[in-house]
Amino acid sequence: MKFLGRRLLHSGVILLAISFFAFLLLRSAPGDYFDAMRMNPRVSAETVENLRAQYGMNHSFLVRYADWMGSLAKGDMGISLAYGTPVGPLLWPRARNTLMLTGSAMILSWMLAVPLGVWSAAAKGGWLDRICSLFTSTLLVIPDLLVFLLLLLMAVRTGWLPSGGMTSGNFADLAVWQKAGDLALHFALPALGLAIVSLPLLLRHVRSAMVEVLDSPFIRAARGHGIPRSRILWRFALPAASNPLISLFGLSIATMLSASLIVEVILSWPGLGPLIIQAILSRDLNVVIGVVMLSSVFLIAGNLIADVLLFVSDPRIRVE
Amino acid sequence: MNRRYTFWGVVILLAAFHLVILSAGFFSPYSYSEQHRDLPYAPPSRIHFIDSQGHFHVRPFVYGWKYDAHSPGSYVADLATPYPVHVFAFGSAYKIAGLIPSRIHLFGVDPPGSIFLMGTDGYGRDQFTRFLYGGQISLAAGLIAAALSLALGLVVGSIAGFYGGWLDNALMRGGDVFMALPWLYLLFAVRAALPLHVPQGQIFLLIVAVIGLIGWARPARLIRGVVLSAKERNFVLAARGFGASDFHLLRRHILPRTYNIVLTQMTLLIPQYILAEVTLSFLGLGIGQPLPSWGSLLSALQEYYVLASYWWMYLPAILLVPVFLAYSQIANALQELFSPVAL
Amino acid sequence: MRPIAFSRTAAAVCVLLAAAALSVLAQPAQNASPAQQAIGKRGGTLTVALRSEPKTLNPALATDQSSQDVIYCMNADLIHINRLSQRTEPDLAESWTVSRDGKAYTLHLRRGLRFSDGQPFTADDVVFSFRVYLDDKVGSPQRDLLIIGGKPLSVQKIDSYTVRFVLSQPYAAAERLFDGFPILPRHLLERAYRSGDFSKSWTVSSAPSQLAGMGPFRLAEYVPGQRIVLDRNPYYWKRDGAGQQLPYLDKLVFLFVPSEDAQVIRFLSGDTDVLSRFSSENYSVLKAQAAVKRFHLDDLGPSLEYNFLFFNLNDLRGKNLPQIAEKQSWFRDLPFRQAVSQAIDRTAIVRLVYQGRAAALAAQVTPGNKLWLDPAIQPPVQSIDRARQLLKSAGFSWRSDGSLVDSRGKSVEFSILTSSSNAQRTKIATLIQSDLSALGMNVHVVSLDFGAMVDRLLNSFDYEAAIMGLADGDADPNTEMNVWLSSGGMHIWHLNETGPANPWESDLDHLMNQQLVTLDYAKRRRLYDQVQQIVARQLPIICLASPDVLVGAKDRVGNFSPAILEPYVLWNVDRIYGH
Repeated sequence: MKFLGRRLLHSGVILLAISFFAFLLLRSAPGDYFDAMRMNPRVSAETVENLRAQYGMNHSFLVRYADWMGSLAKGDMGISLAYGTPVGPLLWPRARNTLMLTGSAMILSWMLAVPLGVWSAAAKGGWLDRICSLFTSTLLVIPDLLVFLLLLLMAVRTGWLPSGGMTSGNFADLAVWQKAGDLALHFALPALGLAIVSLPLLLRHVRSAMVEVLDSPFIRAARGHGIPRSRILWRFALPAASNPLISLFGLSIATMLSASLIVEVILSWPGLGPLIIQAILSRDLNVVIGVVMLSSVFLIAGNLIADVLLFVSDPRIRVE
Repeated sequence: MNRRYTFWGVVILLAAFHLVILSAGFFSPYSYSEQHRDLPYAPPSRIHFIDSQGHFHVRPFVYGWKYDAHSPGSYVADLATPYPVHVFAFGSAYKIAGLIPSRIHLFGVDPPGSIFLMGTDGYGRDQFTRFLYGGQISLAAGLIAAALSLALGLVVGSIAGFYGGWLDNALMRGGDVFMALPWLYLLFAVRAALPLHVPQGQIFLLIVAVIGLIGWARPARLIRGVVLSAKERNFVLAARGFGASDFHLLRRHILPRTYNIVLTQMTLLIPQYILAEVTLSFLGLGIGQPLPSWGSLLSALQEYYVLASYWWMYLPAILLVPVFLAYSQIANALQELFSPVAL
Repeated sequence: MRPIAFSRTAAAVCVLLAAAALSVLAQPAQNASPAQQAIGKRGGTLTVALRSEPKTLNPALATDQSSQDVIYCMNADLIHINRLSQRTEPDLAESWTVSRDGKAYTLHLRRGLRFSDGQPFTADDVVFSFRVYLDDKVGSPQRDLLIIGGKPLSVQKIDSYTVRFVLSQPYAAAERLFDGFPILPRHLLERAYRSGDFSKSWTVSSAPSQLAGMGPFRLAEYVPGQRIVLDRNPYYWKRDGAGQQLPYLDKLVFLFVPSEDAQVIRFLSGDTDVLSRFSSENYSVLKAQAAVKRFHLDDLGPSLEYNFLFFNLNDLRGKNLPQIAEKQSWFRDLPFRQAVSQAIDRTAIVRLVYQGRAAALAAQVTPGNKLWLDPAIQPPVQSIDRARQLLKSAGFSWRSDGSLVDSRGKSVEFSILTSSSNAQRTKIATLIQSDLSALGMNVHVVSLDFGAMVDRLLNSFDYEAAIMGLADGDADPNTEMNVWLSSGGMHIWHLNETGPANPWESDLDHLMNQQLVTLDYAKRRRLYDQVQQIVARQLPIICLASPDVLVGAKDRVGNFSPAILEPYVLWNVDRIYGH
């Protein structure tokens, strides 16, 4: 409990540090939101200057950072220059959608990676191992975007799955069970795509962790004692190999989040992806900071969960 | 025994592949920037031995392409004009190993004929040539970035895991901050701060190196996990009991346990950093035209029209699969070699 | 973070081309009348994809294309430009008169019209709207269009259905200004305006009851990140030839599909009914499936967008950029610019970058702009020989390895900046790089993200040459004032000029100012022809190509009559219907 409390406190400090450095970083890149407007021949330079002043763009770094902290306290996280509204309300619904998608993709990919990794480690050099390694090598050379594009093409050609969005147009008129079905159909493609692109990393790590454990003396001993193979694999080897995998679990949340940005753009998923990509390109800094902070929270939460799990699962660490 | 032969076979093939990449100028028939403006998106040339009259030729030849009158935008072979393929053909200038100027190419055909083993891109540039040259910069970039990430990750991860306590806490939380920051903007800033005349290749390597430097946090975390559990193992505790120094413990007993994860990370990170360029190029941080790189060849694929119309644009991706597969095979084999079974 | 290839999404971000549907153009009598619109059937839904989410539904604040597209369907202006005929036609104002001195416009409003919430429309709404647009605290991007001769135009209510606008000087084709200033409902917005909250009103997430407009549709539903749904405005005043109330459609659905390729695929899959703003490559891919999938594609010919190469001719004193300043001696040299223009293979650009669906350009007016194009100016044909002669005449020479050196023996080497968000322009730069290497010039293509590029072009001047594109929502020279006047904010090759730097720039100033106050179309046209001739001769910008406007629609979409003015396919949305 004390461990957890201390970690939570640390997390707060980290978030503060992230917000400060993120602010610094964002200011280091040239150009600002209103530059695009200056390229419009119909808008005069004075008008743009006016707008800049209105939004406090001329203030010093510290003043703007303080302003931002102030609005954070209100839950606003500053004003989006593009939308003219507070950033907070822009983020919440989209963050929910992104979390739902990455959450289900996470479950799916671990459900695939663990058995596949364990089996290919158990039968090293066997046909399953070979197929898996061919599969991971193939996926490693294919940009994520291409995977999603191919999935989208498949969905369109076969017509089995909807080709984008999160709900059908008539969603509001559906019965509850129909709504669930509609959501599930829309989930299928992006979740599958995300699971596929994150699989190589997980699969390789599960496999290599298992290979190491399976070579260790206690497993040989267990084998010598005639304990059934599947029991050795799942009951002894997997828990022993779980240490690096738990760290990986925490990290994979972050990987999944950044991959989901692309899938959201390609499959029109109403999450944070399209929002942040536009914000990055148009230098809508408060939105970028908002998304950065939000994903930092997810990331830190992931690492926290991983550390707690590590703490619980590995007595050696607990001793300390 | 058999496995051993396979291993060495893979090593030799990979070495040969890298040699070809290094001497791209000799193995490719054109220069990477040469545009054949009448032949954009031309399919790969077919190498023939038997001509349209059914005669056999010892010297292989290719036909030129001409526009297909029936379907605009596609090509048919112009059977009227065969062009023999010459070995050690004279062509555009390049430098062997970056030093000795030469104009001799392994193969080529006389103009106006052309030979495109992997077809051409939208400018009519030879994809085969660009694939070979692209390997030079992409492999360098992938290696540099992965090495930087892993070296930093190894140092930070093992220190954090080994000493634990506040140091561990500070390093790992620092890693969290590092992972969460929008580094893209740093890259924008780096790119923008560079003068316009720095050669494109150098800019690209610099950007990739920055990415590699930023990427330490992830491997550090994984390595720390391993170190953390390794240092509490009985043999380590025993060695410590015998008065072994920290450095000795790390080097002899703990780091060998991280090789596994380092190798796995290496085989993942190199392709990842090579592919990172796909994203970078979209944001204007990729390699500048006309320099080729694997990342830029692959990013051409993600346009729907390319995907749907020009199958040969897939070839670079298809060729890279066995390359990366070979890397992971070697990593697997090394993993067995280093596996600390003896302990 | 790995964002992606919606390269042209980003292009949409570039407000370069975000030309609103605001505008101006002389009123030519000789133009064709709009295509006959068929009598349609009521009912049905039209689904359209937007590249990005609309940012606001407030007509006085929208700067991005998506917002403008949606706002267009919900609002109406006093005088409207028919996108097909490019002529003005009465809209909320049923007629207007111009005073003899050309400064006062008296508009007579239609009577008995209602906003989409049922409240009546009167002159008060008009006066209120223009007060908002003119208020510099609102910061409307349209505001500068209403500042004529340095003074804002004044608005005066004569009676409930008559409004008078007074300009400080005569202004050619002033009635075209009204297109692009949708009328706002005073009863809904005045309170927010007075309390200073105007910029926070009418966001996308506002409740539908808070919004009202005079356009054919009104807000029904907004689902963040997914879609915005409009339904029929029951109070819309227009009727078709059979006396049936418009619009025909019950519903208009805008889906947010943030990448061009995804838009193309979803059009193919039948999710969306019309398609616009896609590349010529995708056009060819789609064309092959048109018959089977029952849709059709149209190539409307060159758009109003002109892409051009220009050199940095800015005054760099006090900028500490000695290397660029040194190179400016080439850039300022007319034969050098002529040689570059002469060496560029514009037909290759048209063929390789646009698959032939574009037009080579000699000056800024594209063949799509039929009313203002000077047909006497022909795009130069590539001639390396002629380019070499020009360079030789200007004192350049060649080393034995073929590289070009100037009279002081300095190698000719420079970089061309492009925006990485625009794949076409990067491709153009790569072709030019290869063309110029035939002259022995060592050219680098540097593609930067849009923000970094704009910063160099507008603020630091740290660049040598760049490729850009510009387009207006309308074809009138007036919208180009900022580009050609030496004092203009978009005088991109030489900003912040204190006065015209050379005789031809002073000629440009004179001609542009002259055409602004000339009310006769033929005279204006002669003036603008001269502007084009100067541009083609002096090459402040080297014009390259203008891409075609490409659109597509399902066969079942009735009254589909796309135009080369924005919004290409939805301009007549009130008459579009489903078979």
